[in-house]
Amino acid sequence: MSSLSKAEKSYIQSSLLSKPPLRADGRALYDFRAVALETGVAPLANGSARINIGRNAHDGGGGTEILAAVKLEVETVADGEGVDGGRVVGTVSCSPAAYPHLPSGALDDLQHDLTSVLHDTVSYLEKKSWLLNLDVIVLSDDGNVCDALFMAARAALWDTKVPRTRSVEYQAKKAGNNAEGNRDIEMDEEGKSGFDTRITKKVTDFELPDYWDEGEILDGRNIWPICVTLNLLPPVFFLDAALQEESSIPLRLHLMFSLPPSEKPRLQTFRLLGPSGVDVPLIKSLIKEGEVHARSIWTALDAKLKDEDIRRNQKARDRFLHR
Amino acid sequence: MLSFISFSQPTDANHYGSTRHHPDVEHDSLMDLDDDLGGSRLTCPGEFITSSQTFMRGHGTYVDQDEVIASVAGTIERVNKLVTVRAIRSRYNPEVGDLVVGRITEVQPRRWKVDAHSRQDAILMLSSVNLPGGVQRRKLESDELQMRNFFEEGDLLVAEVQAFFSDGAMSLHTRSLKYGKLRNGQLIIVPPILVRRLKSHFISLPCGVDLILGLNGYIWVSKHVKDIDQGEQGLDAEAVYSNKNDDIDDATRMAISRVSNIIRVLADYFVPLTDMLLLEAYEWVIEQEGDTKDILQEDMSDALVAAISARA
Repeated sequence: MSSLSKAEKSYIQSSLLSKPPLRADGRALYDFRAVALETGVAPLANGSARINIGRNAHDGGGGTEILAAVKLEVETVADGEGVDGGRVVGTVSCSPAAYPHLPSGALDDLQHDLTSVLHDTVSYLEKKSWLLNLDVIVLSDDGNVCDALFMAARAALWDTKVPRTRSVEYQAKKAGNNAEGNRDIEMDEEGKSGFDTRITKKVTDFELPDYWDEGEILDGRNIWPICVTLNLLPPVFFLDAALQEESSIPLRLHLMFSLPPSEKPRLQTFRLLGPSGVDVPLIKSLIKEGEVHARSIWTALDAKLKDEDIRRNQKARDRFLHR
Repeated sequence: MLSFISFSQPTDANHYGSTRHHPDVEHDSLMDLDDDLGGSRLTCPGEFITSSQTFMRGHGTYVDQDEVIASVAGTIERVNKLVTVRAIRSRYNPEVGDLVVGRITEVQPRRWKVDAHSRQDAILMLSSVNLPGGVQRRKLESDELQMRNFFEEGDLLVAEVQAFFSDGAMSLHTRSLKYGKLRNGQLIIVPPILVRRLKSHFISLPCGVDLILGLNGYIWVSKHVKDIDQGEQGLDAEAVYSNKNDDIDDATRMAISRVSNIIRVLADYFVPLTDMLLLEAYEWVIEQEGDTKDILQEDMSDALVAAISARA
């Protein structure tokens, strides 16, 4: 369904440009379709979220559906893999079922494109002390993938709980040294061996004092960015394009905003897609307007995420009671 | 502007408790097909239908240990000793004479490939289209060279199923002035099973909107055009393959959106579409005086479907 006929394209374009502007399903220009969101969907992930934009209210089919999950992994800094201070790796994979018309090569390109957008935007923050794998799957595409992608990513990261750690140090006895005071409590109880060939006398590791479900929320929960896509059909633009609208417009502008409540709004990334061009003053005004819309998405998403937290706590409590 | 909703949760904690059984526990009566023939019985995939000693398995079933078992969710149909299950959600099964709406996917020598929501792409031969102006002659090499002037990739068309090729792909034809390229509107896709066979699949609603209900589940909603059957000669020859839309006023655009949303809602609730039903639904929506986008809201669409089924 990627291609539309010329007649369809011009129908959509002329509807958008008419006064007042009309869209295929009667929405106003800046209206979103209903967004369904749920956190904590993957039990084995540290944080996860499922999001669907524009699903049918009744049977739950259709719409752009995205699943995001965060898995924390421990890395060793010394062997070159890990980075001190931690790192974030974002990966997007697209289910072939979401794009039945695309050949596998084109699907790979799309995956790579979305991955690079997500990865470059989130990994810039460097707030972690772990390797944080953020895996996102596009299950179906009914337009506006980018916004959904970042909402899902933000929700999953919001949901992420990092296990508390306590560092532990093991120390081998120094041969021939009987000084009692220097010993660690959890010291290796090895006898004095003449064949002790270990070079490192000290091993550091960590242990998890918590049971698995608990942990601390990720630091910097408030600054994960969201995306707002402005679909440009000069002189107007609109939000949350359906698939057919998406393929009939010449230009798209993705703006990734981070809007923490106490700080100044930050524009993390922006990219312009499409064959035609725009001039700089227009972009400036678009960014300004985009920020307004981003803020409303941001507030709505935050409210929903807090609701989800409450709902899940409630559910956990109920389960505990009925045990 | 932007509203978040929740995914529907099972309301009851014992949601599955009452209905789940081990297959062995289930009532043990061998299904008596003769009893069930009157009403249609629904199957689940993996459900036991009957014994394979006495019945033959058809589409949608398989045999495991002398039992005929449904492989899809659908209704059981029986012809003499042959038991088949017709799937509820499937691709479109073409039959000769069906009216379909399709989209060109490829231009090939002397033929177009058409996506018609079937298992294979349909084929439209150059010899089965009308030439602009309605001239009757053999297609020449010069016509082959300008096939893209008739239809190009992405174009929507309405056609009739003419025949089948040996591999099961359908062959279409547009050799009538009713058929041809589509413009002045938008496409809605619904499950093919929801489109019933009607006397006419060209419906025009009194609100100035024309509908083409393709049996493959593609529905074209467009601005009303003057009746083609009346003045066959008066028709503009070039307009048949034109890519340009007519001027459409805002009221008509609004009506097109409204009708599209009604169809979306009805498809969502799995209501089979007929011309009467759509007409009633449209009248109901006009009575409510709601905004077009409100039709898709859950409470409004619930009310719409309830009102329609009460009247029917």
